[in-house]
Amino acid sequence: MKYTKELVSTLIIILITFLLAAVLIIVAKYDPGMALQSFFYGIFGSLHGFAEIMVRATPLILAGLGVSVAFSTGFFNIGAEGQLYMGAIAITFVGVFLPPMPPMLHIAVAILAGFLLGGIWAVIPGFLKAKYGVSEIITTIMFNYIAINIVGVLVRTVLKNTESALPYSPVMPKSLSFPLLLYPTRLHGGLILALACAVLIYIIMKKTTIGYELRVVGFNKRAGTCSGISVYKNIVLASLISGGLAGLAGVSEIAGVHHRLLEGISPGYGYIAIIVALMGRNHPVGVIISAIGLSALQVGANSMQRQAGIPTSITSVLMGVIVLLALGKNIMFSGILKKMRIK
Amino acid sequence: MAEAGTVLYYIVTLFAASIRMAVPLTLAGLGESFSERSGVLNIGLEGIMLSGAFFSFMAAYITQSIIVGVIFGCFGGLLISMIHAYMSFKCYVDQVIVGIALNFFSLGLTSFLFMAYFGRTTTVPQCPVVKPIRIPLLSDIPIVGDVLFNQDIFVYFMIFACFVSYIILYKTVWGTNIDAIGEHPKAADTVGLNVKKTRYITAIINGCLGGLGGAYLTLALLGFFMENITSGKGFIALVVVILGRRHPFGVLFAALLVGAAEALQYRLQTLGSGLPSQVFIMLPYVVTVIVLLFSIGKSSDPAALGISYKRSSR
Repeated sequence: MKYTKELVSTLIIILITFLLAAVLIIVAKYDPGMALQSFFYGIFGSLHGFAEIMVRATPLILAGLGVSVAFSTGFFNIGAEGQLYMGAIAITFVGVFLPPMPPMLHIAVAILAGFLLGGIWAVIPGFLKAKYGVSEIITTIMFNYIAINIVGVLVRTVLKNTESALPYSPVMPKSLSFPLLLYPTRLHGGLILALACAVLIYIIMKKTTIGYELRVVGFNKRAGTCSGISVYKNIVLASLISGGLAGLAGVSEIAGVHHRLLEGISPGYGYIAIIVALMGRNHPVGVIISAIGLSALQVGANSMQRQAGIPTSITSVLMGVIVLLALGKNIMFSGILKKMRIK
Repeated sequence: MAEAGTVLYYIVTLFAASIRMAVPLTLAGLGESFSERSGVLNIGLEGIMLSGAFFSFMAAYITQSIIVGVIFGCFGGLLISMIHAYMSFKCYVDQVIVGIALNFFSLGLTSFLFMAYFGRTTTVPQCPVVKPIRIPLLSDIPIVGDVLFNQDIFVYFMIFACFVSYIILYKTVWGTNIDAIGEHPKAADTVGLNVKKTRYITAIINGCLGGLGGAYLTLALLGFFMENITSGKGFIALVVVILGRRHPFGVLFAALLVGAAEALQYRLQTLGSGLPSQVFIMLPYVVTVIVLLFSIGKSSDPAALGISYKRSSR
C-alpha cells in the first residue's frame, strides 16, 4: 500500500499549495477566479504556452542534472546560477573572438567551451571542499555573485557591442544558433541537447563504474575510502560535471534564446535547478519531469501576471513550500493519513 | 598639513562606515553562532534577514515608529527560523535543504507582499530611519570619538550583544550545555539535558538577532525596501560565523573585516575611476571568499553540526 500513501501525500501537497496560493492572492486583493483561469490558460491554452514551458524547462533540465550529479556525490552545489553565466560567457567569447567556422564545428566548440568554463567555476569550490574542507555552500554562492558581476563588467568592456550604448555583446553569428524546432514558437534545439545529456548522465551515473564511485562517495565517504575510492577525486569530478552541465544551460540560453550576452539572462534558473534536483530525487527522469513541472508553474504564473496583475514572485513562495512539504510529508501528514486509515 | 588632515578624515569616516556595514553581519552572525553551537546549521539565514528587513520596513512604514519596526523585524526573523526548527527537529529533514527552501520561500513572500501592497510605483516608499546618538564627552575624543561614540542605537546594541553572548556562551552553565549538545547530543540527552528545548531556544535567538540584522538594513542603512534587499548578506554572515569560529568577538572582528570591504566598495564606486561599477560591487564577495581561505585547517565545527538528532536512533 506504499503507493496509495505516496499518492495521497502528493494530493495533499497539491491541495495545500493551491490553498496557499489562493490565500495569498485573496489577501493581496487580486481576483482569484481570474488568476485560476489565466494560470491554466497560460499552460494549456495554446501551442505557444507548451513551447514556452519547454523553452524554460531546457536550462532547468541541464542545470538540474548538474545539481543532481553534485548532490548524489554529497557536494552541495548551490552555484549553478554562476556556472550558467560562465557558460554564457564562454559561448560569447567563442562567437566574438574566434574566427568563423563551419556551423557544426562552431557550435561544438562553443558547447565544449561552455562546459569547461562552467566546470572550472564549480571545480574551484570542489577542490577547496575536497582538499581543505571549505564549505562549498558558501563558496558556490559567493561565486554566483562574482560571476553575475563579471558578466556586468564584460558587457561593458571587452564584450561590449561598440555600435550601441547599451550594455550587451554583439549578436552571435548564425552558426552559433540552435535551430528552431517548432516555428513560429521559440522552441529550440537546446531541448534536444538537454534530453541527450539526461540520457548520458543516466548511463554514467547508473551503468558505469565512474557513476558508482560518485554515488558511493555521496552515500558514505568512509565506506568509499575504505574500499579504495578516492573521495577527493570524485568530489572534484562531480563538481566538474555539475558545473559543466550548468554551463551548458548558459550556452543553450545564448544559442537558443538571446543570441547575445546581456545581464539577467537567467531569471534564477540556477537556483530553481536546486529544487528541480531535489524534487527529481537526483534521477535524470525525475529531473526532466520536475523541470517541466516547475517550468509550467512559472509559465502559468507569468500568464497570471499578464492577465490578473499578480506578481510572479508567488512562484518562489510556492516552490519553497512544495519542497518543505515534500520532504516533511511522512511526519507532517502522519496524523491525517492515520485518520484516513491509509497505512 | 591640510593634506594629512583630509586623509585622516577619510580614514575615520571609512572606519565609521565599516562599523555600520558590520552591524547586520554581526547580529545575524551572533544568532547563527548560538544555533550552530547547539548543532543546528541554518542556511536559511539569508531568508531570516530578508524577512526581518521586510517586516520591519512594513511596520515602520505603516506606523511611522522605529520601535514597532524593530519588534516586527524580530518577528519576521522568528517566522523563518521557527519553520526551520520545526522542519529539522520535528520532521528530521536535512537542515541544509530546509534552509535552501526557506530562502526561496522568504524571497518570494517578501517580494510578493511588497509588490501587492505598493504595486508598480515610480517613487520608492520610505520609512523612518534611526538617527545617530552622540554620547556626550566620549564623542569629543578626537578621531576615535566620532567613530565609536557617534553611532546609531544598533551599533551600541551590537557591542552590548557581543558582551552578553560572550558571557552566556563562556561563563554560564547553559552556554556549556549548548556546546555539549552541539558536540554530542546523545550524550547530552543521556545526562538529562533537553536537546530539543535548547535547540528551539537557540533557534529563537537566531531568528530574533537575524531579523534585527535585516531590520538594520531598512531602518538604519537604507530607509527603503526592495526585492532581495539582502543580496547575499545572510550568506556572508555564515562566512563571518565560520571565520569568527562562533566566538562573539571573533564574529565581530570578521564582520568588521568584511564590513570594511563593503564600505570601501561604496567609496571606490563614487571615486569615478571609469571602471564599471560591477568591479566594485563584487569586491565584498571576493573578499569573503579570500577570508574563507584563511579559515582553512582551523576547523572548529561542532561535531554534530547539521545532523538531526533523533532520540530513538543509534
